[in-house]
Amino acid sequence: MHDVKRRYVIPGDKIADGNFRPLMNVIKSGNALVATRIGIAETGRDGVKVIPLSGVYIPRVNDLVIGKIVDHSSLSWEVDINSCFSAHLPAQDVFGRDFSPARDDMSKHFAVGDMITARIMAFDRTRDPMLTVQDRDLGKVPRGELLKISATRVPRLIGKRGSMIQTIEQATQTRVLIGQNGIVVVTGRDPEGIKLSVRAIQMVEDEAHTANLTQRIKVLLNVPDTPQEITRAPIGNGDAKSGEIDSNMGEVEEELEVEGEK
Amino acid sequence: MSASRRSPVIVEHLRKQQMWDALAKGKRLDGREFDDQRPLEIELDVIKKANGSARVKLGHSEVIAGIKVSTGEPFEGLENKGALIVSAEVLPIASPHAEPGPPDEEVIELARVVDRGVRESEMIDLEKLVLVPGKVVYTVFVDCSIVNTDGNLFDATSYAVVAALLSAKLPVLKMEGEKVVDTSETRDMPITTIPISITAARIGDHVLIDQGPEEEACMDARITITTNEEGFCAVQKGFTGSFTVEQLKKAAQSARVKGEEVRARLKELTAK
Amino acid sequence: MTQTRNLIDENGKRTDGRTADELREVKITVGTVRNADGSAFIEFGKNKIVAAVYGPREVHPKHMAQPDRCVLRCRYHMSPFSTDTRKNPAPSRREVEISKVMREALEPALMLEDYPRAAIDVYVEVLQSDGGSRCAGIAAASVALADAGINMRDLVSACAAGKVDEQIVLDINDTEDKEGGADMPVAYMPRLEQVTLLQLDGKLSQEQFNECLDKAISGCKIVYEIQKQALMQKYFGNETELKEEVAVQ
Repeated sequence: MHDVKRRYVIPGDKIADGNFRPLMNVIKSGNALVATRIGIAETGRDGVKVIPLSGVYIPRVNDLVIGKIVDHSSLSWEVDINSCFSAHLPAQDVFGRDFSPARDDMSKHFAVGDMITARIMAFDRTRDPMLTVQDRDLGKVPRGELLKISATRVPRLIGKRGSMIQTIEQATQTRVLIGQNGIVVVTGRDPEGIKLSVRAIQMVEDEAHTANLTQRIKVLLNVPDTPQEITRAPIGNGDAKSGEIDSNMGEVEEELEVEGEK
Repeated sequence: MSASRRSPVIVEHLRKQQMWDALAKGKRLDGREFDDQRPLEIELDVIKKANGSARVKLGHSEVIAGIKVSTGEPFEGLENKGALIVSAEVLPIASPHAEPGPPDEEVIELARVVDRGVRESEMIDLEKLVLVPGKVVYTVFVDCSIVNTDGNLFDATSYAVVAALLSAKLPVLKMEGEKVVDTSETRDMPITTIPISITAARIGDHVLIDQGPEEEACMDARITITTNEEGFCAVQKGFTGSFTVEQLKKAAQSARVKGEEVRARLKELTAK
Repeated sequence: MTQTRNLIDENGKRTDGRTADELREVKITVGTVRNADGSAFIEFGKNKIVAAVYGPREVHPKHMAQPDRCVLRCRYHMSPFSTDTRKNPAPSRREVEISKVMREALEPALMLEDYPRAAIDVYVEVLQSDGGSRCAGIAAASVALADAGINMRDLVSACAAGKVDEQIVLDINDTEDKEGGADMPVAYMPRLEQVTLLQLDGKLSQEQFNECLDKAISGCKIVYEIQKQALMQKYFGNETELKEEVAVQ
């Protein structure tokens, strides 16, 4: 148990003085800890950080992303992952080691305009991100309603241990596939459910900086506000993926969501 | 030289399929009917330093048109008319695909089509803009800065130009010997008519007006039709596909009906 | 510059009715360009300027990319209708120079080393010009960069001071710029207390120089508060304070 202090900051704002460790989006300037982004500053025992509210997606190895095929050469596909760099998916990843540009028709597999879910296999800032689709549930996204949200809002949309997205999925009878890069695909049988799900996601994006957001989402979705046991039941395709992201980003989210949950 | 090129916007197959499914049912992805225009906002006199100006938002396409009046020699062959020049620039702020630099062929086409609507409708009585016949005439520069692109720049730009002209105050200039003198009085532009363009896009067998950015990236062909109170004054077919004669006649009819609505709005706005 | 008439009246009021220490009205709106990663619209006196940021994004042409840091590109441009007489849309020498000093004014605040191989593009478009458009442009660009979520050590604020009727005044307007004695645009990082742009045209004594610089910096601090307010308004609306709750973990 420890106290966490939060406040809204812009770049250059001093968050604290003293012997704190600068965590993400914070620099040490003399004795002061200073924010480098717009967002919510958190001062805790382990250090000072800023949860940013704007900025493009910067790839990280192992992130799950949803991308768009925008081009292909004879050896790889170029994938727009809504980031500062386009990613590459090597043809060998799909066709195997004996891939032959002469024999294998790449555009039959993924064509320009196709959406794929993929994992970032390599990215070290000396070269463009490299993708793989070789894992369960990765590959082409066949259907669904596409949304683009700020990548900074993804942890908020997932919620503490997946609580937010699970609330939305259950209330609207939809599946929500979330890329760490802010691309979201909503699927479901009922068009009205999809519409409501989209509205809820947009509300999370717009109000990510506010407290008690889960409560307001529940009001929007008409869900009774009873504390529910959070178990992440497999609900098909979307689940495995958002579940994994969840574990990546949980730490950031957890602290922001606490006030809404408790 | 003009070379074919790919649209910088690639619409996801998912969205394309949804668009086609919707079009087959007579609907569009944003819920509009084929003959619906997106919300149109017109604000006059946004640049006080200009002789006339307007900001137009059509959907999220945003254009600012500003008018600067000076004097100069008339164009060759048009010795007894004032000079009118419409130019446009898609500012690099306007989209991730826009780059700084001189206008490319698409922007030059845009400016010329808008110019043609104003010129051929004889919206401005240019004969009233002559100081010394054959020697000194008013020069009316209409410059358009495109601030944000969101499809159908033709109509957004055209409305901005027309609105700026309607609200413009012409400085009253006089000749004193060889010199042009500003009397510091102003008068209205000599307006004779209000040309309104309506652009339609063909996607498959469907023709729809005021294409949004995704529709624009999926369209086969485009047609811009400018009308005034009496009839047609300028047309430009664009893009790589083609139209049937039936489709064109239908588009021409919508251009008159829809054009009348936009004209009524502009009239109301500038009457105040 | 030579002065032909009095620009400060017997009551100490300037041509636009301001006192020597008074700033023109400044208003900033964040996020006005929908397609951009970050943007801001500033009205600074009669200046109307829109700044938009794209990036970090890929560098084209690719050989311009730098392996250890981000390339910052900046364009200051005036719309043809923004000036008293129509401006040719092609970039003038003045615009090229201002683009450069503007980039150099912004660069010290940006943590460009965080985005190797990428580019950040800052575009500043003057829709209506008045005196001090470069300062207004820098202030708007800095807000647009913060809106784009670029890592920054500080915001960059900007304001000019100058000499009119042998008196040092804050925030030179168009007339004072054209007819006054000196114009000193300054850009300043308020937290770091560092000057990132300093230009002067006109004559100043040693004393006047010091006073002018101090005055310009006091103006920067006022502009900074407006920049900050604009960003807070966009991101946090009217909830300027996040309730200082104690979280139990």
